[in-house]
Amino acid sequence: MNNLKVFVSSAIFSFRAQFDWLNPAMWITMKFVLSLSQMAFFAFVGVFAGASVPFIAIGNALQSLSWNTVFSVINITGHDKWDGTLPLVLATPAHRMPLFIGRAMIHVVDGLISVAISFAFAAFIFGVNFGQADVLALTLTVFLTAFTMAGFGLFIGGLSFFFRNPMVFANIFTFVLLIFCGVNFPVQSLPTVIQPVSYLFPLTYGITAARSAISGGNLIQIAPTLALQLIVGFAAMVVGFLFFRSFENSARKTGKMEAI
Amino acid sequence: MPETMRVIYSAFRMAMLHWMADPQWVIPNIIAPFVFTTVALTLFKDSTGPFGLYAVLGGGMMGMWGNTIYSSGYAIEFEKWQGTLEEVIAAPSNLMHVITGRAISNALFGLTNMLAVLLIAGLIFRVPLGIADPLLFAVGLILTLLSVSALGLIFASAFVLSRSAQALTNGLETPLYIISGSMFPIALLPFWIHPAAYVLGPTWGIDAVRLATSADYASQSFWAGMNPSFAIFLDLMIMMLITLAYVFAATALFKIVEKRARTTGTMVEA
Repeated sequence: MNNLKVFVSSAIFSFRAQFDWLNPAMWITMKFVLSLSQMAFFAFVGVFAGASVPFIAIGNALQSLSWNTVFSVINITGHDKWDGTLPLVLATPAHRMPLFIGRAMIHVVDGLISVAISFAFAAFIFGVNFGQADVLALTLTVFLTAFTMAGFGLFIGGLSFFFRNPMVFANIFTFVLLIFCGVNFPVQSLPTVIQPVSYLFPLTYGITAARSAISGGNLIQIAPTLALQLIVGFAAMVVGFLFFRSFENSARKTGKMEAI
Repeated sequence: MPETMRVIYSAFRMAMLHWMADPQWVIPNIIAPFVFTTVALTLFKDSTGPFGLYAVLGGGMMGMWGNTIYSSGYAIEFEKWQGTLEEVIAAPSNLMHVITGRAISNALFGLTNMLAVLLIAGLIFRVPLGIADPLLFAVGLILTLLSVSALGLIFASAFVLSRSAQALTNGLETPLYIISGSMFPIALLPFWIHPAAYVLGPTWGIDAVRLATSADYASQSFWAGMNPSFAIFLDLMIMMLITLAYVFAATALFKIVEKRARTTGTMVEA
C-alpha cells in the first residue's frame, strides 16, 4: 500500500512540477502546435520528395508521444538538479522502484493525449484513412508504445543523472527517433550497418504495429511486434533503474549530486 | 568607446563567456536542424533535381533560425533562473542594447550551426557543396543572419514578460521552418500562409542564398526568368527593408516591456 502511495504521488508531483515553468493554457496550446507543426513539416518535405504523406503522418503521430515520454521524463532528472530537490528525493525512505517508475507514468497518459490529437490531424488534414483500422489493436499499440517509450525515457533519464545537463540528452534522444524509428521513411532506407540500432528503440516496433493496425491488421498479427516492443521497453526501464541506484550510491559516497 | 557600444560589447562578451563555460548547450541548438536535414536527405535520395540544395541549405538556415529562437528564449529564462534579471532590468543601460549584444553572439553561433550542417552534409552524405557565386553567397548569408537576429530581438522582448519562454521556444521553431519554406518551395504551402512567409526576412534570404549557390535553382526562385544577380539584389533589398522593420518594432516593444516590468514588478514571476 505504501509503495502504491509512493508510485501515485511520484506520478502526480512529476507532472505538476512542469507547471512551475509552464501554464496550463500554454501546455494545451503546445500539444496542438507541436503535433501539427512537426507532422506538417515532414508532410511538406514528403510531398516535395514524392513520398507517401499518410505514411509520414502516422509515423509522426506516434512519435509525438516522445515529447512526453522521452523529453519530459528525461527532464525530470534535469529539474531535480536545477530546483535543488534531488537531495530531498534521495533522502526519502520511500522504496526506489515505485518512486523511479512512478515519475514517468502520468507522462504516459499525457503521451496518449498527444497521439489522439495527432491522429485527428492525420485523419482530417493529412488524409490518413482509419476506415480499415482494427481499433483494439491500434489502441493497445498506442498504449504499449507510450509505456515502453516511458521506459526508454527512464533509461536515458537514469543515465543522465551522471551528467550536469540532462536537457542535452532530452534533445538528442527525442530528435534521433526521427531518423532511426521509421517515422518518415522505412527503417530499410537507412544504411544497412545502422539498421540494427533502430530496433533498440521501442518506438520502431510501435510505428510498425500502428501502420499495420491502421491498414486492418489484427491483434494476433501484430502480437509478435508488440512482444518485442515490451521486452525492449522493459529492459530499458530496468537498466535505467540500475543507473539511478548506482548514481544514488555514488552520490552518497562522494556528496556530488547536481554538479557532477 | 561610446556607451552604447560598450554595453553591446559587454553583453556580447558575457554571452560568449557563458557559452564557453558550458559549450554543451550547442547540442540542443543544432540537433533539430541536423536531424531534419538527415531525414530530408534520406527522403530525397532517389529524387533528381536541386533537392540536395534544398535539404542542405534549408538545414543550415534552420540551424541559424533554431539558434536564434532558442537563444532568445533561454537568455531571459537563464536570467530568471540565476536571479539576475532584476539587475539587468534595473541597470541604467538600455535593455535593447544588452539584448543586441547577446543577439550578435547568438548570430555568430548560428553561423557555426550552419557551417556544421554543411560539413556534415558534405562529409557524411557526400552532397556536392559547390557554390556558383561565393561572394553573393557570403553577402546573402550575413544579411540573412542579421535578419534572423533582428527577429530574435522581437522574440526576446516578448519572452521577458512570459513565464513560458521555454515552451514558446519549442513551439515556434518548427512553424517558422515551415512558413519560411526552408526545405521546400513555399508554393507547396496553402495560399493563405503565403503572406506570413513574405513578411519573414529569411524567406527572401534563403531564396538569395539558393540563387547564389546553384544556377539550377533559378527556375524555382521567386524571380524566375530574371537575371540571377538582379534577383539576388531584389531578394536582399526586400529582406533588408523587413529587417529594418523588425529593428523598429523590437525597439518599440522593448520600451513597452521595460516600462511594464518596472511598473508591475512581476517580471520574474511572469
